[in-house]
Amino acid sequence: MRAIGTAAVAAQVVLVTAGAPLLAGTMRQVRARLEGRAGPGVGQPWRDLRKLLRKEAITPVGTGPAFRLAPLLLVSTTAVVAALVPLASTTTPVSGKADLILVVALLALGTVALALAGLDTGTAFGGMGASRGMTVAALVEPTILLAAVALSIPAGSTNLATIVGDGVRDPVRLASPAGLLATAALAVAVLAETGRLPVDNPSTHLELTMVHEAMVLEYAGPDLALVELGAQMRLAVLLGLLTSLAAPWGIATTASPAALALALVLLTAKVALLGTALAAAEVFWAKLRLFRVPELLAGSFLLALLAVTASYFLTGE
Amino acid sequence: MNDSVYTQLLDLACGAFLLAAVVVLWLRQLSSIIRVFALQGAVLAALAALLGVREGRWDLLAVAVGIGLLRAGALPHIVRRALAAGTPPPARHYEEDNSEAREARPLVNVAASLIGAALLTLLAYAVARPLVELDPTPATRALPVGLAVVLIGFFTLVTRRRALAQVVGFLLLDNGITATAFLAASGVPLIVELGVSFDVLLAVLVLQILTTRMRAAFGGTGIDDLRELRD
Amino acid sequence: MNSAEHAAVLASGLAGVGALAGALLPGRVRVIAVGLCTAGLGGAGLAAGLLATGGGHWTAHLPGLLPMAGVYLAVDALSGLFMAVAGAVVLAVAVYGTGYARGPHAGGVASRGVQCALPLFALTLVLVPAAASVSTLLLLWEVMALTSLLLVLADQRERASVRDAGIWYAVMTHLGLVLLLAGLALFAACAGGETFTALRAGASGLSPTARGTVFVLVAAAFASKAGMVPLHPWLPRAHPEAPSNVSALMSAAMVNLGAYGIIRVAFDLLGGAPRWGWVLVLAVGALSAVYGILQAAMASDLKRLLAYSTSENLGLVLIGVGAAGLFASSGHPVPAALALAAALLHITNHAVFKALLFCAAGSVARATGVRDLDRMGGLRARMPATTGFFAVAALGAIALPPGNGFLSEWLLLQSLINGLTVPGVTAAIVLPLAVAVIALSAGLAAAVFVKALGVGFFARPRSAGAAAATESPPGMLVGMGLLAAGCTGLALVPGMLGNGLSRAVAVAGLRGGPPLSGNGFELRLDRLAASMSPLWVAAALTAGLLAAGTLIRLTARRGRRSGVRLWDCGGGAPTPRMSYTATSFAEPLQRVFDDVLAPEQDVDVTPVRESAYLVERVRFRRAVPDRIEHRVYRPALAALARIGQGARRLATGSVHLYLGYGFFGLVAVLLALAVGW
Repeated sequence: MRAIGTAAVAAQVVLVTAGAPLLAGTMRQVRARLEGRAGPGVGQPWRDLRKLLRKEAITPVGTGPAFRLAPLLLVSTTAVVAALVPLASTTTPVSGKADLILVVALLALGTVALALAGLDTGTAFGGMGASRGMTVAALVEPTILLAAVALSIPAGSTNLATIVGDGVRDPVRLASPAGLLATAALAVAVLAETGRLPVDNPSTHLELTMVHEAMVLEYAGPDLALVELGAQMRLAVLLGLLTSLAAPWGIATTASPAALALALVLLTAKVALLGTALAAAEVFWAKLRLFRVPELLAGSFLLALLAVTASYFLTGE
Repeated sequence: MNDSVYTQLLDLACGAFLLAAVVVLWLRQLSSIIRVFALQGAVLAALAALLGVREGRWDLLAVAVGIGLLRAGALPHIVRRALAAGTPPPARHYEEDNSEAREARPLVNVAASLIGAALLTLLAYAVARPLVELDPTPATRALPVGLAVVLIGFFTLVTRRRALAQVVGFLLLDNGITATAFLAASGVPLIVELGVSFDVLLAVLVLQILTTRMRAAFGGTGIDDLRELRD
Repeated sequence: MNSAEHAAVLASGLAGVGALAGALLPGRVRVIAVGLCTAGLGGAGLAAGLLATGGGHWTAHLPGLLPMAGVYLAVDALSGLFMAVAGAVVLAVAVYGTGYARGPHAGGVASRGVQCALPLFALTLVLVPAAASVSTLLLLWEVMALTSLLLVLADQRERASVRDAGIWYAVMTHLGLVLLLAGLALFAACAGGETFTALRAGASGLSPTARGTVFVLVAAAFASKAGMVPLHPWLPRAHPEAPSNVSALMSAAMVNLGAYGIIRVAFDLLGGAPRWGWVLVLAVGALSAVYGILQAAMASDLKRLLAYSTSENLGLVLIGVGAAGLFASSGHPVPAALALAAALLHITNHAVFKALLFCAAGSVARATGVRDLDRMGGLRARMPATTGFFAVAALGAIALPPGNGFLSEWLLLQSLINGLTVPGVTAAIVLPLAVAVIALSAGLAAAVFVKALGVGFFARPRSAGAAAATESPPGMLVGMGLLAAGCTGLALVPGMLGNGLSRAVAVAGLRGGPPLSGNGFELRLDRLAASMSPLWVAAALTAGLLAAGTLIRLTARRGRRSGVRLWDCGGGAPTPRMSYTATSFAEPLQRVFDDVLAPEQDVDVTPVRESAYLVERVRFRRAVPDRIEHRVYRPALAALARIGQGARRLATGSVHLYLGYGFFGLVAVLLALAVGW
């Protein structure tokens, strides 16, 4: 019983860590194909990581512990989130601790660590990235927390295992306006949190538009590998969270090895599908101007608030 | 149709109805705004049809068809034509888009409008609460949605600069009123509905003519220009 | 006489000795003696408070101490909690002060007057929660106001701005006193007695109007002490200008008493307030939280930033208090107890991390001579211990795990989510907005403290003062170390406070069972199926860190890191002038919240004389003023000044006229009496 739960946690962490580069590779490949390019193949991010990890570790002059710790903290917070979120199973030894607010806060901790690292370099790029990143993060926070509240009202708890378990038992609730609005709000917040297209362009190096890339400009070698891996893991785990909340079918609610295996396969399929859809959509999107991002987030905030109120006036007492 | 499916569909329709109003506030491109408005009209028709099927009133179905034709078809078409008449063909080069096709700078910026819409929704909920408590059925519970759309429509009317965006705001307001009538009393008698629809059609036609005249007089449909008429 | 009473007597005795030492002893010995006495006083207060939160309870009536009324003191779990917090802060800050008030930069802190006032101020901080009658409370409150005013004015010889801050503080704090006096006098008159026991007994007989009036007057008075918008302008003036150990005491212990007053009077003495009153408290808290943190995001003066952050945190506390009252008035004691427990926990957390932040800011100001973040930088290498302490406290302030602030904000959010089940349209509208406000202020707080830490302490020095900084003396480091240990303890084992919080909440009359359960390592909310074990989170994060660190250690080609130049775009090494300052860091946020903040900027272009097209000089100036102060206080002050000018006409200099005023006044009063009012 407990062994299977532990195995589920380990499987989630390993799957997210190992699968995240593949997810990034798939998304880039989809995008390349849609744009009429051949693309480097799905395994390219893995090859990049391997190359970077084997390089010499270097420290830019004048940087301190904050700069060195940030990549480690980024990966570590994401790994803890991957362990907590019921991606494959709701009955794990840590499911009692899997709190939605905690998950949101841990992801924000990673952002804060990177911003501090950007400021630690003392370069204009680092400061610029940190300033923009924190501006976006400060505005994402209300959206994502309000969406979390909207999702936790029906279950009466912010515990993720309870919320997901409720969703598995009562799928009709997911299709209610409150559920749909909350999911939409969360989806926008996820795009902002992972630095995807309308908010930040992950493949740009133009100083006018950079956010995440500006913060991590000074990283090289193994540190850069960790930053890249951390960003990819964030995307994977947040897409996984989104599927767990919006389409929880197949997640193991009992501790049986077969259910767990099935859940892992389904998780991979769902996240891959979502990633593909996102990559396909990104082909058609343009990056928003930085000062239009608050509009997007205000819209998503409104969706979250509507989700909270809709749960009152449509099906509430 | 059993209860839970009915409630579910009703809630979905109401959610989509409200969402469409919010999206109108969110968008800038007038052509997209009109498309969303047409969508809202379709949702309203679906709402009427749903109530008709539920209560077995076939006249409601007729009303639903009428609403669908008018609000998802005729009205958007008229507004779109007014828009097309005023918009020059797309410029060949990259130019700043100052044309009539965009609500470029509303009086209240978009982020603040969205927050405002959130507060208006809460207000609608607070106001409708005593009404809902009179007879809490799934339909009356959704009453705040209709009220919220009325308020959001009014808000659009107040804060947008382009005449066509204002027309859409007015139509939103009217959609909201119709939805409120359906949700509160399963619709008004057929003849009243016909009269109201005819009124709205007339108003839009008048507004269209007015817009054309405004463009002829001022070269644009910015409502602020009308201030000159006072002097 | 039980041990808590011994502790209180010991504290008072130490305060007296300390004050005498401050007034009489010479030079260097004075600072040490006063510091030790004050630290002992703090320790005694902490002990008394802990005994009281542990279930102890004592009362004292000292009839001889105050003419007519006598002094009433009573300590229960609620006052015990506030005494313990104040005592702990006083203890650590006093140790810090022994280092701070010495050396060439000490300025006015080491002077006789200041050192004499310090122990008395500390004593009132500890004793105000123990007051058990209206006159005792007002007396202690006024002594607290006066001694803190003296302390704020410590540096008035060095800087003229201190005097300005002192005037604002004196006026606002006394306006608050007037409101408090009026409210409590009305309450005592209606209840027919001035001891808290009599007030409690008489509260049920109050008419709704009287109850509402008492609540509004008292809440406004206490809210101004807590630095709530729009009664806050003294706070961002007094806190930056006061010496840093005094700012720490004010920001971490004195403002708490504002929240204490509201809880004590409204919950315990009045036995509940009208529902609109609680919505008002909640709204004021929400407004202060967002406004305070937005102003903090714009501030580039480090201590001003911290002062606004105090306004934000107390705002969060009042959201909790208001929500608790709202739930209690709808007859739901369980979520009410949870919300109040969250508010109390946040007060505790805020006190510890804010004291540490102010102490660290004081160390920086002492070492560099600047408070402006734009001119700091590079302190990490020069003051490593101070930077570490500031980082620990900032982690608490940004409300992210594994900091201590996260736990109380988590609990606050949980209580609001729990409260969503309370029926009623008020709750349905107020609570989602409150959640949004808490989340927005948490997000902005992250930006604020990333700015303070990253811009102020990291990168390279941007002024000569920052480049010449050296680490603080051991006394200051020990004081900060105590506070950092407190932060860590509260962050990792908050469950230790659980029973004390439950008892304090029970004093407030919310008997819905203990709001929290769980052992020292875990907070559990049984009704919500929610639990939080910070120690586990910290352990998991550490394990992740070690694993990732080992990974790159193993795979990297060489074990040792080598240094390289920063990327400079081929243009030569980046200079400190190129790095981001606090102002530039906050610029995007300022643009996003342009409509709310209404910044003032002007560009002044001076052309070369011969040509209108060649520019000789461009001056750009931007300020983000406190909008409420500009829009509300300035016009009010201007109107007041106009009235004063008008009133001068009454004074012509003629002695006959002045005597005539007196005579006609007397006659008018007698006439009014004769007519019978």
